[in-house]
Amino acid sequence: MIELTTSLAEATSNVVRRVQRSLVVLHNGRQGVGAGIIWSNNNPNKHSGRTLILTNYHVIAHGRRLRAELEDGAEYPARLLAQAPEFDLALLEIDKGDLPAALIADSRSLRVGELVLAIGHPWGQRSAVTAGLVSGLSTAQTRDPDQSIEIIRSDVRLAPGSSGGPLINANGAVVGINTMILGGDQGIAVPSHVASAFVERALKGH
Amino acid sequence: MVTENNPLVALSNAMADAVERASAFTVLVDARRRIPASGIAYAANLVLTADHIIEREDEIQVLLPDGSQVSAILVGRDSGNDLALLRLKKPGLVPAEPAAHPARVGQLAIAVGRPSSEGIQASLGVVSAIGGPARTGQGGLLEQYLRTDTVPYPGFSGGPLIDSSGRVLGLNTSGLAQGVALTIPAALAWKIAGVLAEHGSVRRGYLGIRSQPVDLAAQQRKALSREQNVGLLLVHVEDESPAAKGGLLVGDILVGLNGEPVSDPDQLLARLVGEIVGKPAPVEILRGGQRQTIPVTIGERK
Repeated sequence: MIELTTSLAEATSNVVRRVQRSLVVLHNGRQGVGAGIIWSNNNPNKHSGRTLILTNYHVIAHGRRLRAELEDGAEYPARLLAQAPEFDLALLEIDKGDLPAALIADSRSLRVGELVLAIGHPWGQRSAVTAGLVSGLSTAQTRDPDQSIEIIRSDVRLAPGSSGGPLINANGAVVGINTMILGGDQGIAVPSHVASAFVERALKGH
Repeated sequence: MVTENNPLVALSNAMADAVERASAFTVLVDARRRIPASGIAYAANLVLTADHIIEREDEIQVLLPDGSQVSAILVGRDSGNDLALLRLKKPGLVPAEPAAHPARVGQLAIAVGRPSSEGIQASLGVVSAIGGPARTGQGGLLEQYLRTDTVPYPGFSGGPLIDSSGRVLGLNTSGLAQGVALTIPAALAWKIAGVLAEHGSVRRGYLGIRSQPVDLAAQQRKALSREQNVGLLLVHVEDESPAAKGGLLVGDILVGLNGEPVSDPDQLLARLVGEIVGKPAPVEILRGGQRQTIPVTIGERK
């Protein structure tokens, strides 16, 4: 049993370590920080040396002078490429290549009860990890009454600063973007398949 | 990718499998104005749920895991332990399986509920503490309860707490202790469900005594020949009561009932519930320093 718990602990730290390298801190010129994920290490429409970062729309909304801070502390100005307030998603780009992109899972095969980890900067604490499971898979209405969006409910603890960070599965692959806290004890994430579709549409539009 | 021999993936799959198994026996119970709550399939046509979520006795609707809706009637309720049993108008349930062993502190546990037609919901935690007996807000006495750090989402009352194999550790409810979520252990919940199925209510026994706990002297402990340091000194025996008819006297120290030790009044109350009522039960006492067992026919508290 000791062996099992030791190997579980090792596997968890490996998985977390892998994703932490793809996590950025987003500064929006105001107080507080948000999280972002290195989604793809090149923009297929442009020459290399650029990196795409995905985050929540509400992290960058109304912000001026967006900056992305990498794990080593280096900061780069970030440009807004596309935004989808209805899904609370935004796509940014920085002029720096060769960064480790996160693994993206297909969230359509998620099951309630699966183990998930959230990584972000709750209350500004860098790269903090919380664990839980997929509490539920459902839909929520957007501000447009005719439009609904799939969401992942999880019982991982989130706090301001978690927003825009990844919800990952036991493989370390991103299954969602942590977006909202309900009642203090339920996290809402936008599924990765919704995020992937948004990024694809955004890149076609450019 | 960290897939090969990643024990975290194995754990994650086991958790999702357990929730999937629980999903087959966790139903939605709609019997109140607020959002619906949950229930556990106890038999093909019986649902065990929390009593406090039954606000109306007619027009109770149960949503089965396959999405069909069936009306149900109330078979019986035990508000003291916040349990109620419902009978579906037509059977169609896969009964839940209680865990083979009692819950242990530190054990992984998942709270499961079906508060809406959108599907099953779950919350992860561990068994934090095992307590009891405790008096409940409804004047009942809960023999034992579990505490967990799972999140009791709205509508989770009446649903199961499961172990990592999907077997039931207990029934979750926030109706017993001023809204604090507790779990009624499966063995106790199943026992009460059995009584409700048979009698429609839980019978509570009556002895007709007043007692107070007293420390047992060394010689008295020796007479018992077991590890028990406290007994109940009888300070009053009601006339014509079951205790009086059985021959119990003021000054006797009650130390056991039905083969089980008794060392505080709550424990005695807990042992006086259910099948014991109406039958002669051996009452173990210390009288004059000697251990004696006297048969007393337990009365029913009205």
